[in-house]
Amino acid sequence: MTNDEGRMTKDQLTREQIWKGLEPLRGNGDSKLLTHLNSCVHCGLCAESCLFYMATRDPHLTPARKVDLISSIYKRYHTFTGKYLPALVHARDLDEASAREMVDLLFGACTLCGRCTMHCSIGVDISYLVAVGRNMLSNMGMVPATLQSTVQAAVETGNNMAIPTGEFVETLKWMEEEVVDEVGDPAARIPVDEPGKQILYTLNPREPKFFPLSIAAMAKIFYVAGESWTLSTRMYDVTNYAYFSGNNGEAALIANRLWNEMNHLQAGSLVLAECGHGTRAFRWESPNYLERGFPFPVMSSVECIAAYIREGKIQLDPEKIKTKVTMHDPCNLVRCGGIIREQRYILHQFIRDFVEMTPGGTDNHCCGGGGGMLSMSEYNERRMKAGEIKAEQIRISGAEIVVTPCHNCVDQLIQVNATFKLGVQIKTMAEIVADALIIRNQNP
Amino acid sequence: MAVSDAFANMTWYEWIAMFALGICLGALLFHFSRLIRLGRPKDRAPAAGRVAPAVIYAMTGAMNPAKKETAYLHLPTYVAGILYHLGTFLSILLFFLIWTHLPLPLYLLLFLSGFLVVSAGCGIGILCKRSFRSELRALSNPDDYLSNILVTLFQTGTLLTLYLPGLRPVYFLLAAILFLYIPISKLRHVLYFFAARYHLGLFFGRRGVWPP
Ligand code: SF4
Ligand code: SF4
Repeated sequence: MTNDEGRMTKDQLTREQIWKGLEPLRGNGDSKLLTHLNSCVHCGLCAESCLFYMATRDPHLTPARKVDLISSIYKRYHTFTGKYLPALVHARDLDEASAREMVDLLFGACTLCGRCTMHCSIGVDISYLVAVGRNMLSNMGMVPATLQSTVQAAVETGNNMAIPTGEFVETLKWMEEEVVDEVGDPAARIPVDEPGKQILYTLNPREPKFFPLSIAAMAKIFYVAGESWTLSTRMYDVTNYAYFSGNNGEAALIANRLWNEMNHLQAGSLVLAECGHGTRAFRWESPNYLERGFPFPVMSSVECIAAYIREGKIQLDPEKIKTKVTMHDPCNLVRCGGIIREQRYILHQFIRDFVEMTPGGTDNHCCGGGGGMLSMSEYNERRMKAGEIKAEQIRISGAEIVVTPCHNCVDQLIQVNATFKLGVQIKTMAEIVADALIIRNQNP
Repeated sequence: MAVSDAFANMTWYEWIAMFALGICLGALLFHFSRLIRLGRPKDRAPAAGRVAPAVIYAMTGAMNPAKKETAYLHLPTYVAGILYHLGTFLSILLFFLIWTHLPLPLYLLLFLSGFLVVSAGCGIGILCKRSFRSELRALSNPDDYLSNILVTLFQTGTLLTLYLPGLRPVYFLLAAILFLYIPISKLRHVLYFFAARYHLGLFFGRRGVWPP
């Protein structure tokens, strides 16, 4: 039954919305989706793997409920039992109620951290299914406005914080002065838009906006390593929030800009700034969004710094940092990105008192700020509650400095630090490395 | 009685069970061939690790209870689940034994019966947990209960029929219902479990996360 506007009177969604919403469940031509949609056995054992359930003990927020929500809609339209005996498997229509629940659970109670996936008793790729659910909601135009505005800013202005180019350039000039002061070399520079360099370096827009010293930190490292590098004013944003919103078209558009800038500047390789999801979205997802392989090498700044140490291009002073240090592993970089050892290698070079978080590495708990949560202010309370798990880990570690190679994690950890009164310092990898860097003047 | 004799002397209820088994296997084959036809995802990102060792790890090391929170935080449920699944595979094996009337040495019969008592008990325990734990109840649908009840009944039926041949008609009809139910219910995870582990190995292997 429809009303005058062609809307379904019962469920308020238009037929077109439902059709588009169901599109991702029709399959993308491989067996992965079909497999994971058919695998959950409702054992419920994954609950304790998820920070949202652990922090709230709300049975509605378990990974299993998220899987069930998507697979119950899948069953309704694609399985014999779901079509003819829906009550038997709780198969659900895609309607206003299920779509609203999807928004709340898949956007508002999941950071796509993938921890539950690793622990699932069957092996259901839960975060992948959540991403499919987000894709459904994106097709229906139901991405939370707060997250969508971040994506929109990136699409329209080239960076997710809509920083005007003039302001960006000013910040870089200011940071260049910082670098000059710190290395004691008036010739030290932060190169901008210079073609033919070995490296095109990217930034998380939070850096020029809120944490410009982290740009200076990486510039110091490049300086000491004698690197040939540049930033771009046209496209420097490493983030890709469309990966979180589930809009593959916009994700492709954002990723393509970085490809184009590499071509434009004819840089040798692309170094992705400290950003877990940005690294994942570009390194692992963009070739699939754009349906082509990389014609240039891509690496994260963590890998880049580790390589400088190995090659003897930079040296770190083990006397500089004497306090206890721990590390938070960004989920997208570590569990879902495979960068596990490099950050440990770096820290072990100069941190005397390093302690791992428990659990850590690929089993780490998410900080609570991933999945676009930081931009969805309507879920702030839940996000901070979820951050309690990380706060406890930090407290138990006894560390005074928490290092994390991800600006989104830094943001969340700063808030966790304040909320739970941890009294620790939060630093990026570049920042802590720059603190211990042995400076050699490159132009004596 | 040899298999050829078993075929020659099949009763109506055995025919029904075998027919149901054929449908079950055919349907599972359909699911399997669909997965094979669809193939693995095309990933254009350059791999950071090797897939084959990761898939092996996904099926072995990653299943180690010490590595899985779902196992070590829920050890009694995990152990019950393992025993229950072993009991199911044993029951399927014994289904053919019962059908062919092949005799078992007494010690083996007693051992297998004991195992079935334990595994069916585990099935009942898991069912109770699903029924009484509010968060599990909220997650469950009728299929979850029915699947458990059918499998537990099948195990119990196997056990009883080993000693009471008069139960054969009921036993074979029960087996037929179970076989017909497998492909349309969550019991098809007998197939999808392996597919899920494969995809997990593929994903974490390409990304250089597995094997650790
Ligand atoms: S552990 Fe896996 S199979 Fe069990 S409920 Fe969670 S997602 Fe489903
Ligand atoms: S991916 Fe992370 S946040 Fe999402 S359900 Fe799993 S454990 Fe929870």
